[in-house]
Amino acid sequence: MTTEAIRLTQTVKGAGCAAKIAPGILDKALCGLDLPVDQNLLVGLERADDAAVYRVSDDLALVQTVDFFPPMVDDPFSFGQIAAANALSDVYAMGGVPKTAMNIVAFPAQTMDISILRTIIEGGLSKMREAGVVLVGGHTVEDSELKYGLSVTGFIHPDRILTKKNLQCGDRLILTKPLGTGIIATAIKAGLADQELTDRVTQAMATLNRDAALIMENFTVHACTDITGFGFLGHLAEMVVDSGHGVRITASAVPMYPEALEWAAMGLIPAGAYNNRSFRGAFVDFAVSVPQKVQDLLFDPQTSGGLLIAVAAGEAEQLVTALKTKGIDCTAIVGEVIAEPIDRIVVE
Amino acid sequence: MTKELDCRGMDCPAPVLHVRDALAQEASTDISVLVDNEAARQNVSRFLEHQSYQVKSEVLGDLFRIVGRRGEGTSSFTPAPALPAALQSGPGAKKIMVLITSTHMGHGDDALGDMLMFNFIKTLKEMGSDLWCVAFVNSGVSFTAEGSEAVPFLQELAGNGVQILACGACLAYFHILDKMQVGEVTNMLDIVTGMKRADSVVTV
Repeated sequence: MTTEAIRLTQTVKGAGCAAKIAPGILDKALCGLDLPVDQNLLVGLERADDAAVYRVSDDLALVQTVDFFPPMVDDPFSFGQIAAANALSDVYAMGGVPKTAMNIVAFPAQTMDISILRTIIEGGLSKMREAGVVLVGGHTVEDSELKYGLSVTGFIHPDRILTKKNLQCGDRLILTKPLGTGIIATAIKAGLADQELTDRVTQAMATLNRDAALIMENFTVHACTDITGFGFLGHLAEMVVDSGHGVRITASAVPMYPEALEWAAMGLIPAGAYNNRSFRGAFVDFAVSVPQKVQDLLFDPQTSGGLLIAVAAGEAEQLVTALKTKGIDCTAIVGEVIAEPIDRIVVE
Repeated sequence: MTKELDCRGMDCPAPVLHVRDALAQEASTDISVLVDNEAARQNVSRFLEHQSYQVKSEVLGDLFRIVGRRGEGTSSFTPAPALPAALQSGPGAKKIMVLITSTHMGHGDDALGDMLMFNFIKTLKEMGSDLWCVAFVNSGVSFTAEGSEAVPFLQELAGNGVQILACGACLAYFHILDKMQVGEVTNMLDIVTGMKRADSVVTV
């Protein structure tokens, strides 16, 4: 056992949200299950939203979510931060405020020094502190591969829940972080990413979506989600399906890491991106002018990605300005909700 | 001779790295790669296309075989339009790569140097079909970005099949990544590979 020079990404098969089980397969496990009914369950499993919401009283509901995955970076502290930011994000995407969290750990104690786990948890704690969340417990199992994440509980007002549904025609879509972290994680694993890029992407993945969530409270936001394992188009498809509207995305406006575009062209694409495409590709019409590598990035599974916000058209520019003023620099208007084609995504 | 590689049992990104290392050791005009998952099939295909191979793949039961060809005189080589064009073979008999490392040409007076460099880019088309690739690094990348008078001339070259490449790290360094108007973002690996494949490299 060694604590030095261990590269966490070399110890696992999948990386980050790229390790998520393929959405089509997951559907087979969940489809048609007899779920208990409760009138206080405002957002549940059948909605496939970012987090569940359960009403406690007329002015209080609980938001609950869980997220954990294998490491996508080599540094234990950074991995802890990213896993925590990623788990907390689901609460922010619902418009909630996270309050408590529990650690979920799978740890190869036979082959890895326990001090690594301590450093990972310290990283997670640093983000919980930043979010004003208390760590109240956790559960650890022995496993051949390292995994870490959080179960998070937050508060929300039952009348102010932001789900994926409720797109309005004309809404502008705003994305707050660049795409490409799945491909870059693959490059990190391959030893191709330099330290500068690794640091830059690590920082972006460890950034909480808290500021973005606080800012959007002041605008007419109709729907919101966070971009994670199903990729930008996978999560957008969840918003569009059964919405009665269509969405037009301007590919050139979508913020992307240029390095990820290069690596996509080289074929360093996680299997998750192909899974996402085969599951949701049927909902998407690409213009011929959209290069293959850009299409690949639009399906790239993201770890701790940004928020995707549907805001009233007249307020979009203001929201972007407000987000940028708060240092969320990569924020961009990436598309709009259109009348037709219904329930489809057009990428131009 | 066809190089045969067995990448069964490998998960992303291992097959691509395996193929890359094998080609780095010994360049090969024909290559055949065996993989056992769809992601590896697509990734290896993308990689070989990126390396200017003409790629076909077939399903063999649970396995996939990807076959890449890079014939010296293969005139039938027509890359799919959506594929990254970087470093695909140009039409010329000779492959000249021009590396532009600055906004000005030569040392002495920079204002004069700026004028000379702009004129150089304007005149590059006289190389005709021998001109294969123009790569920009350091402050040279600004020629590919919004505000540069060179953009229409580079677009004309690109339209004639010349590869226009700009160093991504350099664009990022000068904060003009989003201002790029012509060409493709590239990296040092592509530039070095391009230099190796070019018949001559002109650095200015």
